Amino acid sequence: MNQLNRDSLIKRNNINIIGEGKQPIVFAHGYGCDQNMWRFVYPAFLSDYKVVLFDHVGAGNSDGSYYNSGKYNDLQAFADDILEICHGLELKDVILVGHSVSAMIALLGVVKDPSIFSKVVMIGPSPCYINKNGYKGGFSEEDIHELLYTLDDNFLGWSAKMAPVIMGNPDRPELGEELTNSFCRTNPEIAKEFAHLTFLSDNRSDLPKLKLPTLIIQTKSDAIAPLEVAEFVHKEIPESQLSIIEATGHCPNLSAPEQTVAEIMKFLKS
Amino acid sequence: MDAEKTSNNRIHESPEDLYHEAPCGYISFTGDAVIYNANKTVLKWLQYSREEIIDKLRVHDLLSIGSKIYFDTNFFPLILMQGYVNEVALEIKRKDGSNFPVLINVKKVKVKDTNENCYWASLFDISDRKKYERELLTSKLKAEQDTKTKTEFLNTISHEIRTPLNAILGIGNLLAKTSLDPKQKEFVDILRLSSENLLMLVNNLLDLSKLEANSFKLEEKAFAIRTLVNSLVHSLEIKAREKNIELYTEVDENLPNYIAGDPIKLNQILTNLLGNAIKFTTEGHVKLGIYLLGSSDTRLRLKFRVSDTGTGIPEDKLENIFQEFSQANFKVDLEKDGTGLGLSICKKLLKMHGSEIKVKSEVGRGSEFSFEIDYKKFDQRNSKFQKVHHLKEKMGANFSSTRLLVVEDNPINNLVISEYLKDWKINFDTVEDGQAAIAAVRKKKYDVILMDLHLPFIDGFEASSTIRNIDLEKQPVILALSASNKESIQNRLTRAGIDDFISKPFGPEDLHRILSNYVVSRQRGKANYTHQNTKECVVNKEEVSNDSFDLSGLIKMANNKPEFLKKFVLNTCTGFKTYSQDFKKAIQDNDPSQVSELLHKSTMSVFYIKADRLVKLLNECKCLLENEEEDYKNIKSQAEKTSAEFERIITGLEKFSRKL
Repeated sequence: MNQLNRDSLIKRNNINIIGEGKQPIVFAHGYGCDQNMWRFVYPAFLSDYKVVLFDHVGAGNSDGSYYNSGKYNDLQAFADDILEICHGLELKDVILVGHSVSAMIALLGVVKDPSIFSKVVMIGPSPCYINKNGYKGGFSEEDIHELLYTLDDNFLGWSAKMAPVIMGNPDRPELGEELTNSFCRTNPEIAKEFAHLTFLSDNRSDLPKLKLPTLIIQTKSDAIAPLEVAEFVHKEIPESQLSIIEATGHCPNLSAPEQTVAEIMKFLKS
Repeated sequence: MDAEKTSNNRIHESPEDLYHEAPCGYISFTGDAVIYNANKTVLKWLQYSREEIIDKLRVHDLLSIGSKIYFDTNFFPLILMQGYVNEVALEIKRKDGSNFPVLINVKKVKVKDTNENCYWASLFDISDRKKYERELLTSKLKAEQDTKTKTEFLNTISHEIRTPLNAILGIGNLLAKTSLDPKQKEFVDILRLSSENLLMLVNNLLDLSKLEANSFKLEEKAFAIRTLVNSLVHSLEIKAREKNIELYTEVDENLPNYIAGDPIKLNQILTNLLGNAIKFTTEGHVKLGIYLLGSSDTRLRLKFRVSDTGTGIPEDKLENIFQEFSQANFKVDLEKDGTGLGLSICKKLLKMHGSEIKVKSEVGRGSEFSFEIDYKKFDQRNSKFQKVHHLKEKMGANFSSTRLLVVEDNPINNLVISEYLKDWKINFDTVEDGQAAIAAVRKKKYDVILMDLHLPFIDGFEASSTIRNIDLEKQPVILALSASNKESIQNRLTRAGIDDFISKPFGPEDLHRILSNYVVSRQRGKANYTHQNTKECVVNKEEVSNDSFDLSGLIKMANNKPEFLKKFVLNTCTGFKTYSQDFKKAIQDNDPSQVSELLHKSTMSVFYIKADRLVKLLNECKCLLENEEEDYKNIKSQAEKTSAEFERIITGLEKFSRKL
């Protein structure tokens, strides 16, 4: 495939580059939202780092026309996008921060081309959400199918989905828009496929291939990626350290941004 | 708590009543999602007592598992960022485990004198609404499905119609060349004209449905724009002359000879516009103008203009002419021997180019259609294009010594191809079936064979593989001609030893290009079958058990390097020994998943040596193992067959490697 030029990449992934520093820190958002997820976290890095924010193709304000189910049927495709971004922006010595599924996307990217990265931060990682012979991911396969069913009903706002249908104007989603929520808009079909990928993926065997210093941030109670999973990830990645922070939920970057920032800073300075 | 004052003095409402007896549910929770308050309505729905919930349960505990994941990944992050969430549908779990759907609105509230937030949520039971919603969505889905089915039907039927139509048209053309009396000639002309129109309609329908399904893609290749224009005008000239209309072109002098883009789509757009212009013009002229608007280092922008002195289009109709299937439009155009689809196809093709068509018209004076397209500059340094660029020169020199055999049973196609070949001064013979082709190859030396695949008695595949097994001094290049999709028959092509494929229908350029490619590369000594190689191939085929595997692909890949071939075969052989062990273990463990893993693991190896029968046997084993009620005897016998096949492959490969 042709390497996209810088401008096309910026458009494709809605890339934002800010900050005074030299060393790049790339934040990869997880399933369910977009780069807005980092809004309480990234400002702390502006003075010392070059902060790179982006949306995965299909999420947020990325250019959805680059999305096709054939290409993005594997987390590796999203990892390759990150590599393209780093190469396209000529980033070196990159700190890669991935939340949720992007922790695994980061893993795949770094394993494929470790030369441009220096450190990895994983927030609420899970290499496999489904319980499999002895491994406890936290969910059964039926649970995941129920989630996909829930997604069918939602996409942030019942009205966002139903209003166009009722008004008979599926081509004009803007009719339903103002009734609904303004962050984390995702194309429902893409989000569903992404959910599929996220929750049915199994990257356990890739963990030991990650040889860079890695920080795992985990809240004390996370229904999506339980503590046992974080411990498993810690055990499998040779140069990793695990920080359990005083917060709950799957998104400490939103619910406990100060602690999250503090942990990352500590890790980077070490 | 004081009773709230209302406008009606007799009615008193306490805030407590308003909260607890409200017709919707309320719950409040902390930042950790612990529920610290709930109204009576919601408690009643959930079948919990107040004590069972407050400070004991988290929101998660009330949600079905799918909703729980959704809550953590989408819903809660959104509240944290946005401060509120409206109208999210979730499934709530009652104490007895049953579910019901609610619509939930949440608001973030700052806890006084702290940094913390708490969250207030209102819940509406939407069980009834949900039923309607499901109903509505099902109907929508069905309607969409129906439309899709109709499109597919249209597609299939159009394809089916095209085949006999081609024959009618071809026979009509042949008939016209015989001696006919004036009456007969008139009949034949009508026959030809009508079938031509019908074919155009069918082709347009197909294009349109392809455009609608987005299955058309823009190609990018170098093409000679002046040549394209000349041949286009040449093909339309007859029609123009019949009507006594002048057809001429004006091409900007500054236009380079070669540009890069999609010539087929451009040809289609211009054919449609020029065809229309000729159709609606009774006297005067039709003119095609191409102008260079501007250029950068890599791109150039061209303007195309088709103008005529025809009937013109009334202003109120200008909007409608681009709509397909509009009844009025359809009727009008059919009278004029058109399909009414051409312009809408042009519009869609131009949209793919990021362009649009503009029209100016005056009734009684004529019309002018114009559009602009951005093309890439043809880069001389790009070798991929260079090949095409220099074809012409190369061909003249090389073709004179080329001997070619055409194998084609359809007299029309035969005739057409013969005309092209005569034009290019190529020596050729024609035969009409596979048997005759084989006989011809035995008798005479050929460099290239054009082989139709659908032949009577012995088809093109069989004829080709037979030819590949004939002991010839030099094997010819075999190029297949077929209307099938190349991907769908690729395996069969490779197996039959066919070098390349020309998709029907093809124009002279297509044939020219592919022929010159092979003639050139052969003369450079690439892609050739030497005598020795071929013989080796035949020997192996005979000595190794016939269908278990086929090494011809490998031999071709090894490209005359026996040491490489030997290494490859030995590696493959070792691989199959391991696979054979894996297979035995899978049978022992009675585990179909091990068989699928084996199938997956061995994909490339079985592909290289074309061990199709083994793959089939393994798949059958897998199916038998998957069926829990399957008789053990059946599994055993199938496993034995498969093991025997493994053995045949392993011994065959060993035998072959010893000879290398």
